[in-house]
Amino acid sequence: MISFTNVSKSYEDELILKDFTFNIDKGEVAYMTGPSGAGKTTLLKLIYCAERPDRGQIVVAGWDINKLKQRTIPFLRRNVGIVFQDFRLLLNKTVFDNIALALRVHYQHPNAIREDVNAVLKEVKLSHKAKTFPQQLSGGEQQRVVIARAMVSKPTVLLADEPTGNLDVDTSQTIMNLFREINARGTTVLIATHNHDLFHGTGRRVFFLRNKNIEKEIIG
Amino acid sequence: MKIFRYAIQTVFKSLWREKWINFLTILSISIGLSLLTSFIMITLNMDSVLQRWAKNFGIVVYLDEDLNKEEENALKNRFLKDTDIVEVKYISKEEALKELHKTLGANALILEGLDENPLPSSFELRLKSSLIEPGIVKNKALQIEQMPGVDEVQYGEKWLSSLYAVSKTMKVGAMMVGGAIFIAITFITYSTIKIFFYRRKDEIETLKLLGATRSFIRLPFLLEGLIIGLLGGIISSLVIFGIYSFTSIKMVEFLPSINLVMASLPFQVYLIVPFAGAVVSVIGSFIAVGKIRY
Ligand SMILES: Nc1ncnc2c1ncn2[C@@H]1O[C@H](COP(=O)(O)OP(=O)(O)OP(=O)(O)O)[C@@H](O)[C@H]1O
Ligand SMILES: [Mg+2]
Repeated sequence: MISFTNVSKSYEDELILKDFTFNIDKGEVAYMTGPSGAGKTTLLKLIYCAERPDRGQIVVAGWDINKLKQRTIPFLRRNVGIVFQDFRLLLNKTVFDNIALALRVHYQHPNAIREDVNAVLKEVKLSHKAKTFPQQLSGGEQQRVVIARAMVSKPTVLLADEPTGNLDVDTSQTIMNLFREINARGTTVLIATHNHDLFHGTGRRVFFLRNKNIEKEIIG
Repeated sequence: MKIFRYAIQTVFKSLWREKWINFLTILSISIGLSLLTSFIMITLNMDSVLQRWAKNFGIVVYLDEDLNKEEENALKNRFLKDTDIVEVKYISKEEALKELHKTLGANALILEGLDENPLPSSFELRLKSSLIEPGIVKNKALQIEQMPGVDEVQYGEKWLSSLYAVSKTMKVGAMMVGGAIFIAITFITYSTIKIFFYRRKDEIETLKLLGATRSFIRLPFLLEGLIIGLLGGIISSLVIFGIYSFTSIKMVEFLPSINLVMASLPFQVYLIVPFAGAVVSVIGSFIAVGKIRY
């Protein structure tokens, strides 16, 4: 579903990833961890084309990133749901509208949008907050809105960047359960996190990033 | 329709939220368009005056003294066949003398002493209006002068070239002022839409990451430009209608003959102005949004 072959990426003169190769299968849940600045976010950005590799091949859901035209990037992104590390919620829009935006870019019918957004709000247990604005929410609630937005369009790939950033253990578990459910519907999930508790005992693959590459791969 | 739904919502929100900027932009556009239209109208009116003058423009061909009737007819036929010439009028020696008598009036006595008519017979020719240009007329005159039986060709050479110069300067001026106003209107919308675009920069970045296409992102801005330009144009049409009705009524009061000169404003103008406003405004918005890169 996601495959990197000898990918190198640098910002200006600073090399972040060097000859990076890995592969995530369809329907898998995989984790990625490593020290701050190791390049986790950069790796995810390469997947949804917010950054381009200097060298190497990246294939996502059948799309060869190097052959992707500017015009076709939106169509790749519609297959990829993203939980951003910095949330990227629009502060002047309600929770409902923030989530709906992910469907509006698909030009879906308002009735279908309402239905889907309400359903996903129920899943993240935020139905009662539909009409509030992001700044009126707690960090954990905002995080759930971001997850709801990433999953509402039923993407083939879901990327989550530090989805439990500064949440308590209980909330983290709620969120991890959400990912499990998403995955159960067939979505491939890749989670970048510092929190080792997230993958501990899951039996899923975990990649440790360090020194511009994969330092080791373990089963969590 | 699907692709317009979100754009329309966004536009109406933006129109309302930024009502002052939008209002000022619409006002500026309507002022620009009104100036432009007035200017075009003035130019058209002046041009129609010049056209009227040009209609009276004729070439006089004086004939040789000893031409007989057949030779004169041959010349006449030649002129009639010439497609550049739209009117041929023959003036015989006698008619010319009568005309001279009329012009001299009381002073006609000076003609009494003549025992023979000294005036030549002539043709008065009118050219197609599209040919009334100094260079073309001059060539034509020279050409006619070469014909057998023609003594001399006369036309108001000086008058023609100054008329031509005035009309040409007017047209060039109109184009320059018109172009400048068009660019100004484009720029007005450009800067307004640019402001809106920058204000929504974060939102646009997020939209891109959610998989919005270029047209999805552009459409609200183009639509807003369209509405702004259209409203500016409609206001401008109303203003022009008011001013034009008012001035023509006043003009007729003071100068009844003005009606002959003043070109009436065709109703299409009132449709063209909003259309032009919309088009120019959309161009401005398009440039403001610029290239969208992912
Ligand atoms: N746009 C950019 N321009 C220049 N350097 C960048 C840019 N984005 C990231 N970097 C640098 O690249 C390195 C990797 O950044 P990245 O965000 O991928 O790390 P990370 O593993 O996600 O870290 P964290 O765990 O803190 O989120 C960092 O040293 C960072 O300073
Ligand atoms: Mg990061």
